[in-house]
Amino acid sequence: MPQIEFINVTKEYESGNIALDNVSFQIEPGEFVFVVGPSGAGKSTLVKLLIREEYPNSGQILFNGADILSIDPENVHAYRRRIGVVFQDFKLLESRNVFENISIALEVSDATDHEIKNIVPNVLNMVGLSAKMFKYPRQLSGGEKQRVSIARALAHEPDILVADEATGMIDPDSSNSVVEILEKINALGTTVFMATHDEKIVDKLKKRVIRIEDGKLISDKKGGKYRG
Amino acid sequence: MGKIWKNLKANLRRERLLTIANIFVMTITFLLLGTLIFIISGSQTALRYLEEQAQITVFFKDDFPEENILTFKSQIEGDQRISGVKYVSKNDAFEIFSQLNKDEPVLLENISPNILPASLEVKALNIGDLDTLADEFSTVDGVEEVRFFEDIIERFKFWSNVIYIIGFVLVGVFAIISYAVIMATVRATIHSKGIELEIMKLVGASNSYVKNPLVYQGIFLGVVSSTIAGVAMILMGAIMKFNNMFEQGLTFGFLPRLYVQPFVFSLILFIVLVLSGCFLGLLGSYTAVKRYLKY
Repeated sequence: MPQIEFINVTKEYESGNIALDNVSFQIEPGEFVFVVGPSGAGKSTLVKLLIREEYPNSGQILFNGADILSIDPENVHAYRRRIGVVFQDFKLLESRNVFENISIALEVSDATDHEIKNIVPNVLNMVGLSAKMFKYPRQLSGGEKQRVSIARALAHEPDILVADEATGMIDPDSSNSVVEILEKINALGTTVFMATHDEKIVDKLKKRVIRIEDGKLISDKKGGKYRG
Repeated sequence: MGKIWKNLKANLRRERLLTIANIFVMTITFLLLGTLIFIISGSQTALRYLEEQAQITVFFKDDFPEENILTFKSQIEGDQRISGVKYVSKNDAFEIFSQLNKDEPVLLENISPNILPASLEVKALNIGDLDTLADEFSTVDGVEEVRFFEDIIERFKFWSNVIYIIGFVLVGVFAIISYAVIMATVRATIHSKGIELEIMKLVGASNSYVKNPLVYQGIFLGVVSSTIAGVAMILMGAIMKFNNMFEQGLTFGFLPRLYVQPFVFSLILFIVLVLSGCFLGLLGSYTAVKRYLKY
């Protein structure tokens, strides 16, 4: 059974802009999938639909065979805990240090202080930031901030890691290290779904590439490249 | 419970100045609310007292025999509209007159008990019956004159009712102010914590995890400020008790036969204020969360 399935999904915004037009694809557990395309192609909309931040106008989105659109709003949090999200702008709280930023993800799932003290150093070790546990975001580089964001996404051991333009605001060297971490996470069995327009990274990794343009799915190739 | 308190403390600490300012404003509001209730109750108590003191004085003709007056007294004592009847004989009237004019011996020399009329002082249960009773008494054989101070009592009743109505309108207004202050505070918290709430949502926080601390914050503001105001009301009650004010007790306008000692009244007021604070806190913060938290 596919882990994620988009079936004829269409999303039209109130402005009349069609962000996704009848898009269908499947993702198997443990896959590493790039979603590529120019700015405004519909990549971020795809991510928002996947984390149920937005609803499509038509179509179905299945997670392990269950329709995520039929999840009661009171229970969406349980679904979101199975998906780790990494954002282009990191979404870190400036007033909290690295440890506290990561512990948010655990606090909301009612983890005990003991669990938080065990898990946070582990995920920080995974992204290579153990030494910066008590630094504040303003004391970190862009790449380091993104690694904190990844650590936070990994804190409750998600089934899927969704990265929305995760390398969009960091330098090339940092981008490489972020992608290396994502590969490492994927190697451990977590599905990685990465929306990007970073051509070099896509071409280097030779993973499955779904290309979207003007809301339409143009191509879907395993071992693909940015430009087909 | 520990986690709720921890989150609440963190919220309040981050917005310390705003919290203090809001508690200050709301405490004043609750103080005014409590004081108004005291004033309303005090004026109603004074009105009840005056109403109870309201009496008709029935003067009898000089030649009307005392036995007939006493017979008439026994007759009207059975009337359900009347709470008490007192006979004032010519001699009693002379004594009262003498007391009132003890500094004017010349006047007293020329007056004898026979000149003064015997009378009955009739107290009505309800001030509204005074007029009818006076009319009835004036037609009774032997009655020379019937007097009662309807105007003064009616005027006081009018002003007491004005205080009652305006007071309750103001109580409503202050309750709305408290509600609005709580709503504005929670709204400000939602705005200042915008990104934090968004992150919480995206990392899997349940609705209640995000919303409850904000609701608790509103309840906390309401309870703390109403408690401070409630303590001030208890002090006011204690001062009244210490100064023997309203010894008969205070009454609520809508429960005319119930009298409560001022100190007990202030304790009841304390409970009412704290419950109102809790309710307004819950309502204000819940509305703010519903209206401003896009979740």
